[in-house]
Amino acid sequence: MSEDARPLLEVSGLVKRYGGLVAIDRVDLKVPPGAIAGVIGPNGAGKSTLIGLIGGALTPSEGTIRLDGEDVTRLPASERARAGIGRTYQIPRPFLDMTVEENLEVAQYSIAPFIGAAAARKERAALLERAGLADASSLPARALPLLRRKRLEVARALALKPRVLLLDEVGAGLVDSEISELIALIRSISDHRTAIVIVEHVIRVVRECCGRSLVLNFGKMLIEGPTSEILANDQVAAVYLGTGGARTRADDKAAVPPEGAIHVRAPVEARTTLAALIAPPAASAKAPLLELQNVAAGYGQARVLRGVSMRLQEGEAIAVLGANGAGKTTLARVIAGAVAPTAGALRIEGRDVAGLAPHRIAALGVAHCMEGRRIFPTLSVEENLLVTARNGDATQVRERLQAAYDLFPILAERKMQIGTSLSGGQQQMLAIARALMARPRLVIFDEISLGLAPVIMDKLYDALALLKNARMTLILIEQDVDRALALADRAYVLEHGVFALSGAAREIAKDPRLRHVYIGDAD
Amino acid sequence: MIGKAAAGGVVETAVILIVAAALWFAPAFAGDYWLQIGFRALIYLSLAEGWNLMAGSAGLVSLGASCFVGLGAYVVFGLLNKLDMPPPLALALAAAAGGALAAFVSPALFRLRGLYFTVGTLALAELLRLTMINVSLFGGATGIFLAQDPPDLPALFHCALVVAFLASLAITFCARTRASVILRAVRDDEDAAAQMGVRPFRVKLAAFALASAISAMAGGVQAIKLGAIEPYGIFGLQWSIDVLSMAIIGGVGLRLGPLVGVIFVIALGELLADYPEAHVAIAGVILIVLIRFAPRGVVGLVAYQKLASRRPATA
Repeated sequence: MSEDARPLLEVSGLVKRYGGLVAIDRVDLKVPPGAIAGVIGPNGAGKSTLIGLIGGALTPSEGTIRLDGEDVTRLPASERARAGIGRTYQIPRPFLDMTVEENLEVAQYSIAPFIGAAAARKERAALLERAGLADASSLPARALPLLRRKRLEVARALALKPRVLLLDEVGAGLVDSEISELIALIRSISDHRTAIVIVEHVIRVVRECCGRSLVLNFGKMLIEGPTSEILANDQVAAVYLGTGGARTRADDKAAVPPEGAIHVRAPVEARTTLAALIAPPAASAKAPLLELQNVAAGYGQARVLRGVSMRLQEGEAIAVLGANGAGKTTLARVIAGAVAPTAGALRIEGRDVAGLAPHRIAALGVAHCMEGRRIFPTLSVEENLLVTARNGDATQVRERLQAAYDLFPILAERKMQIGTSLSGGQQQMLAIARALMARPRLVIFDEISLGLAPVIMDKLYDALALLKNARMTLILIEQDVDRALALADRAYVLEHGVFALSGAAREIAKDPRLRHVYIGDAD
Repeated sequence: MIGKAAAGGVVETAVILIVAAALWFAPAFAGDYWLQIGFRALIYLSLAEGWNLMAGSAGLVSLGASCFVGLGAYVVFGLLNKLDMPPPLALALAAAAGGALAAFVSPALFRLRGLYFTVGTLALAELLRLTMINVSLFGGATGIFLAQDPPDLPALFHCALVVAFLASLAITFCARTRASVILRAVRDDEDAAAQMGVRPFRVKLAAFALASAISAMAGGVQAIKLGAIEPYGIFGLQWSIDVLSMAIIGGVGLRLGPLVGVIFVIALGELLADYPEAHVAIAGVILIVLIRFAPRGVVGLVAYQKLASRRPATA
C-alpha cells in the first residue's frame, strides 16, 4: 500500500451496546487524508452513535478506533479533541451566552493556552470569514439562527485544527439554498491532510461532497462503496423508503392478523373489544373532524411549516410522509397543541383551536403518540396507561385497561414493571396503548416504527389496522413509507414545510416524485 | 497588544488595588463599630467571591462553605497553638490545606452533578464537623482556645482586607483572562467543552480548589478574631447559607454580584439589628422576591434594565 492510502481514521469492528440493544454492530470505516466519507441510513440506524463513538462522547463496547495509526479507543472526548478529532452536534450546542468569537476561543485556548493574542485573533477572523460569520463575531451565540449556529459548530470544530472532522447532520432543517452554501463550505474545508466524515439525511450533501459512502441500517453496515453506486442501489432505496411493509399486505388483507401479539381474532370481536378505546362518532358531524388551513409554525428562527392545509373526516386514516427535517413532527405537535401555529387556522369539528393548550386539545379527543415514546420512567406499565385515562370513571377505566391488554397482551404480563424496563418494541406498544387510554377520536402516531426491528413494526401495524377497521381516525407520521401507505386512505408528503404531494395512498405509492423527495433527484 | 477583555482586567486590577490601599488606612478614621462591620463584610466578600467562582463560572453550587471555613479555623489554631507559627504563614498553610482537601475529595464529589454535588458538599461539611466533635485531639465538642492573645481590631481588619484583596485578584484573573472562557464553557455545556479539547475535570477542580483555599483562609482569620472555636459554630450550616444567599441576592455569575450581595445583606442586618425576628423574616421575603423577579440578582436587575433601555436604539 502506498503511503497516501494509509487511513487517517480507521474504525474496525466497532460495537456499542445499550443493555440488550445493539446500537452499532461491527462497523468498519477507513478514511484516508483528503477524503470525505458519507454515512447515511434511516433514523435510528446508529449514525449519530457512530459519531459519538469516534468523537469520544461515548465509549465503545468493542472494537478499535485509530487516528493516524494510533489507538484512541479508550481516550476521553477531551483527549481525542486534542489529538485532532473535531465534531459537530446534530442539534447545535454552541455556548449560548458567549459571543461567537468566544465560542472559538474555547477551542483555541484549550489546545494552546499561551497562543499570542494577535495570532489567535487573526486565526479566529479567518475561521469566521470562511464560515460566513465574520459579521457576527461579537454577537452572542444565542442570537444566531439555526443555519448560522450550524456554521458556528463547524467553525468551532475547525478552531481545533482537526485532522479528522465529523459533521453530524449539518444539513438537517436547511432549505435548498442554504444547503448549497453548506456544500460550498464543506468543500472549502477539505484539503489533502484532513479527513471528513459526514452523517447526513440530506442526500444532496452526500452526493455532492462524499467520494465514498457507508449505509447503516439497524446499527449494521448495509453496504459501503462509491457514493454514486450507493445512491443508485435498490437495497439502499428500500432502506430509506422502508422495507417489507408493502410485501404481502395484499394477500392477507383480511383483518385476521398473522400470528402475533394480538389476541383479538375476528373483525367483529375486534370492534367490540376495542370499543372501550375508541370514542363513538359525533352525532352531528357536519364539519370535518380536523381541518388545517395554511398553517405555519416553527421554533424561534427556524420556520418549519410554511403553510399546510389538510382536511380529515371521521374514520379516515392518513399518512404524513417526508424526509427528516421536512416538518412532520412539527405538524403533529401543532395539531396536538404543543406548538402554537404562527399563522393559519386549526379547527377541530369547525371549532378554532389554534393556540389552545395541549391538555385542552386532548380533552377534545385528540391523542398524540409522541415520537420517541416518552414513557414515564418512574411509573409502572399500568400507571403509564392510567395517566391518560383520567376522563373516565372507574368502570370505564377498567374496561379500557382490559381492551388495551387485549390489544397488546405482553403489556398485561408486564403491567407491574417499570415502563422503561421494557424492550423498545414493547415500549412503543405501551406508548400506543397509552394514547388510546384517553378514548380519543383522533390519534396521531408519530414515527412509531422508529428504531424497531421489522417484525415488531409488523405487529404494531397489525394493531393499527385493527384500530382502523374499528373506525378510529388516524394520522400516521412515518419514515417507513411502504407500511404507512399500505394502511392509509390518503397521504400527504411534506417537503421543506409544505405539502409537495398529496392524494390517495395508492396513487402516492406509485408516484415517482415520492422517491425524489426522499432520495433527492434520481435523474 | 492587549485585547478588550484583558484591558478590562487591567482596569479592574487597578481598581481593586486602589480600593484596597484606601481601605488599609480605614482604621485611622473609622471607629470600632465600622471596623467590626468592615471585617465581617470582608470575610463574607472573600467567601462569596469563591462561591461565585464555583457556581457562576464553573456551575458548581456548593453548600460546603462551612466545611472550608471550619477547616481553615482548625488548621490555623493548630499551627498557632502547637507550633507557634507566625499568623500569616499559618493562614497560607490553611489555604493550602483547603485546596488540598478540595483536590482530595473532588474525584468523589465531581461524580455527582447538579444538585447531587450540592448535597455532597453539605455531607462533607457534616463529616468534618462530626470528626472534630468525636476526636479529642481536636478538642471535641468544646473546641479549642487560641493560646496567644488575639490581635487588636485594626490588625484583624488588615488581615481580612488582605484575604479579600487576594480573593478579588484571583477572581479577576479567572473572570478577565482566557481562563474565563474555559470556565464558562464547562459551566454551559461540559460535554461540548470536552469536544473542544477542554478537560472538564481539571477545570472544575481548579475552581473548586481555589475557592476552597480562599474560604479556608477567610475561616482562619475569622477564627483568630473569635479566639475560641467549637465545631457547632465554625462548621455551622449558617456560613454556607449566608454565603449562598449573598451571592444569589447580588447576582450569581456576575463580577459585582458578591460585593453587592454582601453589602446588601450586611446593611440589612445592621438596619434591623434591634429586631432579630423581623430580620430573618424580611431577609427571607427579600430572597423569595428576588428569585422570583430578578433571577440574576440585584446586579443582574440593574444590568438588564440598562440593556433593555439600550436595545431599541441598537435594534
